[in-house]
Amino acid sequence: MASLKRLETEFPILDPDFQSFCALRGIFTVQDFLIRDLQSLVADAEQQPSSERFMQAINQVLYVIDGLHQPWLNGVDLMEDAQKNKHVLSTGCEGMDFLLRGGLRRGQVTELAGPSSSGKTQMQPRVLQEVMNSILCHSVYDIFSMFDVLHCLESKLKYQVMCRGDNDERLIIIDSISSLITPILGSSGSQGRALMVSAMSLLKKLAHEYNLAVLVTNHTVGGDGGIPKPALGESWKTLPHVRLLLSRDCGSNTYQVSLLKHPSIASGKAAKFIIND
Amino acid sequence: MSEAAAAAATKSWINGDESARQMLGRAQASRPSLSLPAPLHRIPLRAGNVVEIAGPSPSAKTQLLIQTAVSCILPKERNGVHYGGLGHSVLFVDLDCRFDVLRLVEMLRHRIVQVNGCSCTADDEEILKLSMRQFSYIRCYDSCELLAALKTLHHRLEKEKESNGIGGHLLMIDSIGAFHWVDRASTSLPLGGKNRKYLSLQNVLEVVVEDLRKLMSAHPMLVIVTKATIVGTTGNDFRRNYKRWPSAGTFDASSELEGLREPYFREYMPPIWQSFVTHRILVRGSDDHIAMPKSQENNTAYVSEWLLPRLNFLDKFVVRNAGVFLVS
Repeated sequence: MASLKRLETEFPILDPDFQSFCALRGIFTVQDFLIRDLQSLVADAEQQPSSERFMQAINQVLYVIDGLHQPWLNGVDLMEDAQKNKHVLSTGCEGMDFLLRGGLRRGQVTELAGPSSSGKTQMQPRVLQEVMNSILCHSVYDIFSMFDVLHCLESKLKYQVMCRGDNDERLIIIDSISSLITPILGSSGSQGRALMVSAMSLLKKLAHEYNLAVLVTNHTVGGDGGIPKPALGESWKTLPHVRLLLSRDCGSNTYQVSLLKHPSIASGKAAKFIIND
Repeated sequence: MSEAAAAAATKSWINGDESARQMLGRAQASRPSLSLPAPLHRIPLRAGNVVEIAGPSPSAKTQLLIQTAVSCILPKERNGVHYGGLGHSVLFVDLDCRFDVLRLVEMLRHRIVQVNGCSCTADDEEILKLSMRQFSYIRCYDSCELLAALKTLHHRLEKEKESNGIGGHLLMIDSIGAFHWVDRASTSLPLGGKNRKYLSLQNVLEVVVEDLRKLMSAHPMLVIVTKATIVGTTGNDFRRNYKRWPSAGTFDASSELEGLREPYFREYMPPIWQSFVTHRILVRGSDDHIAMPKSQENNTAYVSEWLLPRLNFLDKFVVRNAGVFLVS
């Protein structure tokens, strides 16, 4: 967050007088400005001798703050963006495509949860086959290296969009996100969950801004009555857009996928399919 | 003051500025109560209220918001056709970043087709675009962005007031607990300077509440907020959600009564937020399947319960393609 001192070079109205006025009230950076009560600051400023200049300076800082958040989008623009950019990617598996009304949607994060040997990883080459672009693989062993990879990807995508107006990438797969998050999720302490929320926030941002589909896999843990439920707890449930639960009939090639959550399809539906090697 | 003036002043003070009837008339005119779709229809809501819809995930909270948004952005009447909407603008602040605009368009289209019948598609598109123009959307990826958006919202609304005139607004926030963990974990490094506040959970929510209060006093606004119950739930809700699988066992007949017991989730928002909220609804999935006569699907039913003010009955509703419908 920029400090007021640094902003002075860009906006000379934020002169040292204003900076000391703010410093007396504990405001040194733009972030401090955000966390303060604006109205009382304005009331204070009006009582100062150079109140006009201070008001102009406050308006200038508000202008800077206006650049800190995402733009307000009108419903019509949002609709056009969704219709133009957020297409579906087929998963290569008819049953799953039918369940998801087409496949993985770009701009959304899909979670695929299932116990081990339930076909999660087998699903993925099918998804990849449909993607005509080159496949880049990164091995990550902890969540911090995943953040590194995602940040590098973000810069690369930003650069591509700046140069060419569009980016090549279509799909990000993280197999499995639960192995990165489970070690840091303790029962007490919020650091692990905070990292989980930040990671998903970054993934959702990449998905929306660069029109990517994101697929993450999760393992399952035992639930009530012995029925497996996805891991990562209650806070995880609010993070992905679409949640699928995969299971496999014993000893056969028949898989069943059920829809736990979807923004526009009723949950509880299931589909069965067979994967032949 | 002379005696006569004092007597006159006292008399005018006793007589008051306006009668109760005049005051009620003025209040009704400036902040009329809004008729919102079920299950928000049980209590009359007006600008200045803050409604919190709490529930575990998934419990159709966002669907309720979208249904309310549809009722709001539709015009009341257009080209002689009565659409029955409020014609207000909706400001949607998406903190979860999971909003699907195509779902909003689907529900809106259903409503319009229901009114217009299956004819006049060009008219339909025009009404759709007109309604969608009343919908404003913003995503926030962290607390700083949320604070920045709220601080600059006042100016934005002022500018709109100048161009479009005074209209009611509906501010929706989905969902307020999205940054709970991140803010809780943000470390409090010692900052230089005496009065500096750092970005902690308490401070962020204090500022959010303050800014919302100021927005509501400057522009007539109804605030609807969803909150996912992410802390401290028991295993009960899992049992409810997983009973839908084909291989599952029997239904639990006593699940209906659970709604009348104390809610099983833990409140994790600080007291400053809890006192800001004026109305509270709890929604969750119910075990029953509602078999629709015409379709092949079994729709999951959801149950909503008004906690504040406390109403001792439950509303059951289903979510279909066309929207949220009460099932009595």
